Amino acid sequence: METVKNTLDFSDFPRIDLVAAGAVLVFLLIFPLLSHSSFAMATMIQFLMFSLYGMGWNTIGGYGGQVDLGKAQYVGIGAYTTAVMLIRWDIPFWVSMPIGVCFSVAWSFIIGYPLFRLKGHYFAIATIATSLVLKDLFEVWNFVGAARGLEISPIKYRPPDFLRLIFKEDIYYYYILLVFFVVGILYINWFRKSRLGFQLRSIKDNEDVARSLGINVRLAKVKTYAIATGFVSVVGSFHACYIKNIEPEDTMSLSISILIALMAMLGGAGSLWGPIIGAGILIPLKSYLKEWLGATAGLVGIDLVIYALIIMMVSAFEPRGIWGIVEKARRRKRK
Amino acid sequence: MPLLQVHNVTKDFGGLRANSNISFSMDKGELVGLIGPNGAGKTTLFNCISGLHQITSGRILFQGEDITELKAYEVARRGLARTFQVYTASGDLNVAENVMVGCFMRTRSRARAKSRAEEILAFLKLQEVSDYLVSELPVAAQKRVTMATALGSDPRMLLLDEVAAGLNPNEIEDIMTSIKHIHNELGITVMLIEHVMELVMNISDRVIVLDSGRKIAEGNPGDIAKDPAVIKAYLGERYVEEHAGNLE
Repeated sequence: METVKNTLDFSDFPRIDLVAAGAVLVFLLIFPLLSHSSFAMATMIQFLMFSLYGMGWNTIGGYGGQVDLGKAQYVGIGAYTTAVMLIRWDIPFWVSMPIGVCFSVAWSFIIGYPLFRLKGHYFAIATIATSLVLKDLFEVWNFVGAARGLEISPIKYRPPDFLRLIFKEDIYYYYILLVFFVVGILYINWFRKSRLGFQLRSIKDNEDVARSLGINVRLAKVKTYAIATGFVSVVGSFHACYIKNIEPEDTMSLSISILIALMAMLGGAGSLWGPIIGAGILIPLKSYLKEWLGATAGLVGIDLVIYALIIMMVSAFEPRGIWGIVEKARRRKRK
Repeated sequence: MPLLQVHNVTKDFGGLRANSNISFSMDKGELVGLIGPNGAGKTTLFNCISGLHQITSGRILFQGEDITELKAYEVARRGLARTFQVYTASGDLNVAENVMVGCFMRTRSRARAKSRAEEILAFLKLQEVSDYLVSELPVAAQKRVTMATALGSDPRMLLLDEVAAGLNPNEIEDIMTSIKHIHNELGITVMLIEHVMELVMNISDRVIVLDSGRKIAEGNPGDIAKDPAVIKAYLGERYVEEHAGNLE
C-alpha cells in the first residue's frame, strides 16, 4: 500500500514543476498527431530512449554518486539477447526482454562485486574497461554475428506485430516507448523515496557515516547497479527491435556510455527530472547538429566537441547540472 | 554483565601504535567520558569499537557478543551508534532526510522512518531547521544533527565524538542538556570524547584518560582532575615537578 502511495506521490515538488511535467507529458502524448517529419519522430524516439537510459544511470550515478561510464555493455546485452532469440528461435520481445534483463543483472553482479571495491575515478575507468572488453568479445563471437552484427529482417514478419515489436511505422514504437517512459518515471519516483534510495544518498555523502548507520555499503551499491542495469537492458532490447540492425560498434561503444552519463549530469544527477531535461537538450542538439553541420558544412564530429564543452561547464560551474541551478535559485528565494 | 567490554585492544597503523593494550568496560546506563591530549588515540578507539577499523589484537564484546570481527554496519545494527567529529555534508540530504537515513536502519517504511525522524528532531529542538541542508546550519546545529542521525538508528549505546568542539558557552550548555536528555530520558548508555572539560567533568559518571595510545587513568571526575599522571599528560613533566607540593 505504502509502495503504491510512494510511487504515485509527487507532492514534494512545487506546483510549477508538476504543471510543467504535465505539459510535457501532454505534448509527448499528442506529438505523433501533430504534423512532423520522420526525422523529428526518430529524434523523439531517441529522446525517450536516452531519457530511460539516463534514469537508470541516475540511480547509481546520480543518487549514489558512483560515476558509471560503462552502461553501453548492458545496452548490448539487452539488444543482443532480444535479437538472437528472435532471429534464431522466433522468441517474441516480451519474453526475450525479461531474459535479457536477467542476463544483464547477472553480469552486473559478476562485475559489480569487484568493481565496487574501487572508488571515484578508478571505478569510472574500470566500468569503461569492462564495457570495452565485452564489446571486443562480441566482435569476435560468431554466434552473435561477430563484427557484422545481426539483422532482423522485417520481411519475415507481418507488421504490426505487437508480440515481436516489428512495425513499419515509428508511431507504434513511439507509444510503446512512451509507456516505458512513464513507468520509468514512476519507478524512480518510488526509488528516490525508498530505503535503498536514502541509503545511496547517504553513501554519496560519506561512506563511513553510512556504514555507522547500519548500511551495507557494497551491497547497496551492487543492488542499485543492478537496477540501473535493468533499465538500460530493457531499452537495449527495444533498441534491437526498433533499429533492426545491431552491431557491437553502435550498441556498445564508449560514446553511448558517455552520452548516457553526460545527459543525466547535464540535466541534474540525483534528481527525478534531471535525466529527462538532459536528454531533452542533448538529443535534439545531437541529431540536428549532425544533420545540419555534419552534412552541409562537413563539420563531422562537432557533436563530440560540444559534449566536451558541456562536461567542462558542468564540472566547473554546477556539478548538479541544470536542476542544481534551479534548486539553488529556489533555496535563495525562500530565505 | 557489562554492556561493552574492551579487552587489551591494540591498533597499529604501520609502525605507529595508535592504541596500545587498552581495556575497560561499561555497564548499561553509564555515562563515561574519554579524554586525552590531541593524538592520544581517542577517535581511533571509537573507530575500533564501531568496526570502522579492524583491531590488531584484543577483543571487543557488546552485550556479551564478540563484535571484534564484525563490520561497521553489523556493529551499528546491534545497537551501537556513533557520531563523527568532522561532519562532511556535501550531499543533498536535508536535516530531516539525514535523520531518516538513521531511522531506515530499523524500518523499511518511509512513513515510519519519517514520523520517527520528526520525533527525534523535536526531541533535539531541530524541527525548525528540518528542511535545511546540513551545510547551511551553524556548527552547533550541525552537531545536533549528527546526534539526531545516530539516534534515528535507535541505539542502546551511543559514542559521541567531540560534539561540543567549537561551540560557545551557551551552546555547550545546550548540548550538555541534550546529552543528559539522551542519557536519562532515552536510557541510552553514552561514551563521549571531549576536550571541553567543564562538560566532561560535569556530566560523566566516570572518566577514562588516554595518552599516546595508552590508558593512563580511570576513575570518577573528581579523582581524575587530581591524578598526577593526567596532569602530566596535559601539562607536561616539569609542571608536575614544580607544583608537586600543591597537588595534594
